[in-house]
Amino acid sequence: MDLFLQQLINGLALGSLYALFGLGFGIVFATLGILNAAHGTYASWAAIIALAAVERLNLPFIPALLAGIFGGGLLALVVDQVAFQPLRRRAGGGMISALITSIAAWIILDSLAGTATGHQSLSFPRDSYPDTIFFVGGIPLPAIQIITVLSMLVVTVSLHLLIRRSRFGSAMRAVGWNQTAASLGGVNPRYVVVITAFLAGATSGFAGVLGGISTNNVSFHLGEGLMLKGFAAVVVGGYDDVRGTAVAGVALGVLEVMTAQYLSSGLRDGITYALLLGFLLLRPRGLFGSAGFSRA
Amino acid sequence: MQPLVDFWNAYRSTLTFALVNSFFALSTYAVLSVGILSFATVTFAAFGGFLGVRLVLQTGIDPLLALPAAAAAGALLSYVIALIFLRLESHWMALASLALILITRVLIINVPGTGGVNGLSVPVTLPFFMFALVLLVAIIIFWRLSASWYGIAARAVREDAAVASTLGIAPRRIQTVAFVISGAVGGLGGMLLALALQYLSPDTYFVNIAFTMIAAVVLGGSYHWAGAIIGAAVFTALPVIAQAIIPEFQDVANGVVLLLIMIFLPRGLIDPRAIRLHFAARKAVAQAPRDATSPAAGGAP
Repeated sequence: MDLFLQQLINGLALGSLYALFGLGFGIVFATLGILNAAHGTYASWAAIIALAAVERLNLPFIPALLAGIFGGGLLALVVDQVAFQPLRRRAGGGMISALITSIAAWIILDSLAGTATGHQSLSFPRDSYPDTIFFVGGIPLPAIQIITVLSMLVVTVSLHLLIRRSRFGSAMRAVGWNQTAASLGGVNPRYVVVITAFLAGATSGFAGVLGGISTNNVSFHLGEGLMLKGFAAVVVGGYDDVRGTAVAGVALGVLEVMTAQYLSSGLRDGITYALLLGFLLLRPRGLFGSAGFSRA
Repeated sequence: MQPLVDFWNAYRSTLTFALVNSFFALSTYAVLSVGILSFATVTFAAFGGFLGVRLVLQTGIDPLLALPAAAAAGALLSYVIALIFLRLESHWMALASLALILITRVLIINVPGTGGVNGLSVPVTLPFFMFALVLLVAIIIFWRLSASWYGIAARAVREDAAVASTLGIAPRRIQTVAFVISGAVGGLGGMLLALALQYLSPDTYFVNIAFTMIAAVVLGGSYHWAGAIIGAAVFTALPVIAQAIIPEFQDVANGVVLLLIMIFLPRGLIDPRAIRLHFAARKAVAQAPRDATSPAAGGAP
């Protein structure tokens, strides 16, 4: 029973990482209509920046975390303006052009990340983050896992409120639906796009820094792993609803850990991808997605 | 003569991979030419490749005889995939094919006979001219297809499926045919890749092939089969050239080139429409009176 509870907590923490990453990925997909292959690299770079802030500048945990998040956001903003903005001015093209420029950005950022880390897997020094382990009824509860789960909850709630309750959120949804119509309604699409890209990069960067700490792995592989699972979380949850992404991400994390523990570690990734394919085939709008939401 | 021999020795493997990548690009082009973005080529290649290699290992037949088997395996799988996937809307279909690649890798690791995570070494290969010959056959087939009724119907379906169906073309059937062609060529490419690498692992057929091949096709031009081959060649040569000029940043150079081409040449290097417009414009210039500086002449976008 202890083992089960412990694995449940591990699953929740892992799933929160997937969810946090997926939130950023999902906003870009729903609002900007871009399947962004470069999104994983934002997470890798955020972790690298946070690590550099810790090692080179001797910053404490919170400022280093913020530096990573800000770096991820800034990177997303630059990529958006360099790789996607030129395509928006032309009619047509649509998803394929943006996918290909995002692949280009992915190749560039991935290889630069490889150079930055010396093609090794680095890790945060032990004393650079809260590494206390609480014990609740004999079950170990590392502080970083608690931070991960709480961060995910806070970010999900704030993003949900931002998108559904604020004026800026209405503008985001309007731009996601139709940019021309949105600008007729007095929304500046360029401004909305830039802020959205920054938010998406920052959210995924957050996941990158926390993931880099809890998996002891800061390299370009970090973003790749988060990317595939975050993508699954977005699709399973329904990509126009952040709550769906959060629930699906956590569920996938728990499922993976439990599969590895009780069935076979070889099927760990399989279960996520099987769910992903199953949802795409049978219920493409996901668990929480609204009916009829489609992007032509 | 000596420089030629040196060039051949230095770049033979690059040329081989350019030929192999042409198959993946052609496979991607086959579905793109009916307006479908699908990454499933990688799955067809994996199926054809592992099946062909197992066949060679098990029975010891000539690898040349395993090629048709790999193509048939790819075609069969693609037919099944087409039946399931074509019901989906276009962008869901693209995502589903991406999910299919991820599952393929898990299957390769878990199914016996594929070598699992350790991979599978392939003790046979083919001489270079065989790769070229097989590609030539594929090119002839694509060339004849593009001028056939199927080719015309495919263009109609790509431009507008609804209009195509009012012309008596069944879009779903054309798309199924496109998938089967894509599967056959993809399976063939998978087997050829196995023979070129002489080693297979679960990572041999993964997302990177899918992404680079889509990029290669769009780079070369997705409106003509030659675009796929040019794109594959450029995409194979780029890393080698970048390696020679700026070794430390070769991947970065690839990415930058891809980005620039996509932004400035969105219809790719080979664009039948631009070529037709170019000739039309020249004809217009030739026919126009000498004194009239007709604006139509320079009007080719």
